[in-house]
Amino acid sequence: MPENPAPEARIFFANTRFERMARRPGGVPREKALGEAQAKIDELKSDFRVWLDQELHKLNAALSKVESDLTDNASLENAYRNCTQLQAVCGAMGYELVTFVAGNLCKIISTIMTGAAYDKEMIDCHINAFLLAKTDQYRAMRPEQVPEMASGLRRVVELAARTSIAPVD
Amino acid sequence: MKNATVNLRNLVILVADPSSYWRRAVYGILRSFGANKVLEVEHSMDLIRILSSQKIDILLCDTQIHPHNWLKLTQMIRRNATNENRTVPILLMSGDTSERIVRNARDAGANMVVAKLMSPNILYDRLCWIAFNPRPFVDTATYFGPDRRFKIEGYPGGVGRRKGDKVIKVAEEVGPALAQDDIDNLFNAAKKEPQDA
Repeated sequence: MPENPAPEARIFFANTRFERMARRPGGVPREKALGEAQAKIDELKSDFRVWLDQELHKLNAALSKVESDLTDNASLENAYRNCTQLQAVCGAMGYELVTFVAGNLCKIISTIMTGAAYDKEMIDCHINAFLLAKTDQYRAMRPEQVPEMASGLRRVVELAARTSIAPVD
Repeated sequence: MKNATVNLRNLVILVADPSSYWRRAVYGILRSFGANKVLEVEHSMDLIRILSSQKIDILLCDTQIHPHNWLKLTQMIRRNATNENRTVPILLMSGDTSERIVRNARDAGANMVVAKLMSPNILYDRLCWIAFNPRPFVDTATYFGPDRRFKIEGYPGGVGRRKGDKVIKVAEEVGPALAQDDIDNLFNAAKKEPQDA
């Protein structure tokens, strides 16, 4: 007998309703389902610009609140969430530069959440970068295609990391 | 796997995501797949309310859900022995698919993590996978959830792309390329680590 026997595990198949029902015949054929889903996504793309402007507006509002009250943690968390949403959804929609700027700003906000000082200039340069990145001319560009802007924003993150308690990824 | 068609009719699907835009996208995709009972929530409070008041068949939850953290929510669902949704398939959607997130998700009892650059065929394939390749549940003192040592023998509907996968017919990519295989590998790779189950 081993000295430390492995803990007992109960192993079972849950046989969930999802498993049972999803296997039924009669579902929408795969190719048809995928074609219709892609059409839905394409429909949504036309609304994307409106959504993006709304999200940037919300982000600005949240950051303005933080600026006026540095103890407003709820607004800081809202700004962070907003930023991560921008990063995820813009990535899916092919707005590569907005995705990059949002990812960068997420890191800056993270440093503030972990104790770094709120630096208005660091925030403002990202807000300005958003305005440029969302334009038709720039939106599909990768960071490597706008090296000055990309390296500038990356430097800002490095600076922020130096004043932060926690390391920035 | 001959049957690569998933039938979502009359299944209660709960989509939890703080982004209204993303909820619309997922809702539209699921409806196209034949789902007719899709519930949406923006906050974790509503998610908890639904989970404690009705039976759902699958949960698609974003990792940015708030105010409760997704990890806590996943653990809460799996650890609540009296909740009828304890074994519900949990598919996490995340814009951050770092190894830390995927490992945490796996260890909390999530069935799967989908990178949030999700295209319809990626979601379809994962739903097929959950339906046609059920994983046994493991119940120990420290873990309750799908077997983390489950060996993926081949994806349904042609998702498999690795040498050892059984099903070879691969669906054409519709959306941008993702590192989804890596995410799936992390779930699979658990078999190499010391486990308590």
